[in-house]
Amino acid sequence: MTVEEQIREIMARITHVDGSIITRESTFKDIKADSLDVVQALVAVEETFGIEIPDEEAQKFQSFGDFVSYVENQVAQKERV
Amino acid sequence: MSLEGKLALVTGGGRGIGRAIALKLASQGADIVINFFRRRDTAEQTAKEIEALGAKAEIFRANVGDPAKIDEMFDMIGNKFGHLDILISNAASGVGRPVMDIDVKAWQWTMDINTRACLLCSQRAARLMEGRGGKIVSLSSLGSFLVWPTYAVVGVSKAALEALTRYLAIELAPRGICVNAVAASFVETEALRFYFEEQLGKGNLPITPAGRMVATEDIANVVAFLCSEEAFMIRGQTIIVDGGFSLYNPLFARERKD
Repeated sequence: MTVEEQIREIMARITHVDGSIITRESTFKDIKADSLDVVQALVAVEETFGIEIPDEEAQKFQSFGDFVSYVENQVAQKERV
Repeated sequence: MSLEGKLALVTGGGRGIGRAIALKLASQGADIVINFFRRRDTAEQTAKEIEALGAKAEIFRANVGDPAKIDEMFDMIGNKFGHLDILISNAASGVGRPVMDIDVKAWQWTMDINTRACLLCSQRAARLMEGRGGKIVSLSSLGSFLVWPTYAVVGVSKAALEALTRYLAIELAPRGICVNAVAASFVETEALRFYFEEQLGKGNLPITPAGRMVATEDIANVVAFLCSEEAFMIRGQTIIVDGGFSLYNPLFARERKD
């Protein structure tokens, strides 16, 4: 599974929406994710990929795509180390 | 330097009230383990300030709502220091909703962090205090008995925390551990702005009969007292630090205007 697929699965599990409706353009509101859902998704993603997403970065995410791109970058950086 | 040579763990010690407590205990000579979760930057900054006071500081990232992470944190403390003298159970979270909108997830998240973490941390801490005694202080809120808009889950979690504090105080007393809580009202912190700014309005934070808002240092002073030997006979109590806020009656408003 790609990073995006894994994050989509986590998001769908937390917000109880059908993962297929989550696109890169979806906002958290589109996915019906409230602030607690977002925090829980951050925690789950951090644990899945062994990364840390600072709050100041997470606050910049406007869409699911922003979230995925940030994690993709972190995972790529980690693999390079 | 009454806490010279002591080791304290402050959960949620990177910012707000936890930070003020960490700095206060460090100023009295204690070395500090700062637990943080979402903000590494403020935890690192607080650690630097502690070191500038001449104490040792260690930071550890853990969501105290997750029992496995609590275990990891205490394993680290056990391996690195071998003991603990003071536990400040301060980390808190919460979901601001009216009772009709509280779902299982919001309830569980808040209870796990605000109440269960205190139990699990106290259990592990008590083992690290074996043979030396210790102090446990948890941070409560006036919302445990006053009703504030959208504060229900947090208020209930804090009421349970105060009850837990009483049980811990009695059951851990034979181990030489003093357990108490401190309940604050509106304290000038980031969390206050986050949860209440909408209701209070910007810049419209409540003052108290004492004439000003409660500051984080006011809370830290009382926590430090409860960690001192002078407070040895205080057990299982929740000390209110609110500048008289909870006793204030609207009837006094008229008097003030005159």
